[in-house]
Amino acid sequence: MTISLAVPDLLVARAKSGDLEALEALYRAFETPVYNLALRVLRRPEDAEDVLQETFLEVVRSIKLFRGEGHLWGWIRQIAASKALMRIRQERVRETEELHEESEAAGGGGGSRGGMNPGAVPVQIDLERAFEQLSETSRAVVWLHDVEGYTHEEIAEQMGKTVSFSKSQLARAHVRLRRMLDEGVAR
Amino acid sequence: MMHCTMDDLLALAAREGSAWARQHAVECAACRAELEALYQRVAQLKALPARRPARDRWPAVRDAVLAERRRRRERWGVSGLAAAAALAGLLVFRPFWTKPIDAAELARVKAQSATLEQQLQRYDPDGRVTSGRSAALAAALEDRIAVIDGELAQLGPARAQARPADLVTLWQQRVELMEQLVTVHVTRAAYVGL
Repeated sequence: MTISLAVPDLLVARAKSGDLEALEALYRAFETPVYNLALRVLRRPEDAEDVLQETFLEVVRSIKLFRGEGHLWGWIRQIAASKALMRIRQERVRETEELHEESEAAGGGGGSRGGMNPGAVPVQIDLERAFEQLSETSRAVVWLHDVEGYTHEEIAEQMGKTVSFSKSQLARAHVRLRRMLDEGVAR
Repeated sequence: MMHCTMDDLLALAAREGSAWARQHAVECAACRAELEALYQRVAQLKALPARRPARDRWPAVRDAVLAERRRRRERWGVSGLAAAAALAGLLVFRPFWTKPIDAAELARVKAQSATLEQQLQRYDPDGRVTSGRSAALAAALEDRIAVIDGELAQLGPARAQARPADLVTLWQQRVELMEQLVTVHVTRAAYVGL
């Protein structure tokens, strides 16, 4: 996933003054990475779209507070991650997800074996499906750490957990990913 | 032979591995392969295709923002009359820090702004169907009004006595924009017969 996230300073300045066109331009620039982050963590498209909307409402309301220290994407990503994690906490679906995950792991991921195109980048699709079978919390930790580059300290702070929790979630998630890939998830 | 755990491998990947794990990874082909597989998984996760939302959520964000701005403007409109009266009262007691013409003009433009707000309310722009062009024009005007409201909020009542001329200018600009906004809605209402 390579997307240019460079935004002209002038556009940010216009957005800070409340210019709706500039705010829409920011939305267009960042809607995909925000949606993608939310979708990877939450898995359901409708939840990810809700997070996208909530994130940009917050961006519009708070952009005056962005002091220009660091990249704007870092600031927006922080809001998006916070909204996605809040949704995990609110919906309390982790328990059922973990049950789902355990049953998938025990059954070798058989439920998602159908419907794949065997010629289409199988390793990547296997990994994508295996990743989707992790619990929401595990997906959040893996995505934020491995893809978005968050530190365990930052993840712990965002999730209201300890650094050890973040580290152990990451390790457990990678053990599960490796196991599912070895067993041929979705192949 | 003891091998690296996933914790060890993740620590190695983060260049935080223990001396034992670093040494072991050099000597053990199986753990080197595990470490390489970990690097590969992370690289593949980063390379997953970007998903895009099926629906455009910007209109919902924009509508919420415009509704918030409208509510804020209404608060300014209602408070405008009271503020104008208060300023006129202050003028009587503190004539030395402001020119009478500024205070009178300020009271007048604030009252005009409040009247326009009421007029706009009667057209209920939130609840009506409008053309894309009218909506875009109204949105642009509302943006500019919001910017002025922001400047007014920054000046604030506490500094009103120090910069009456600036306040008058801002309120005059606000009135001009409000008049244009009302015209947009009146024209649209006449056109579609609403």
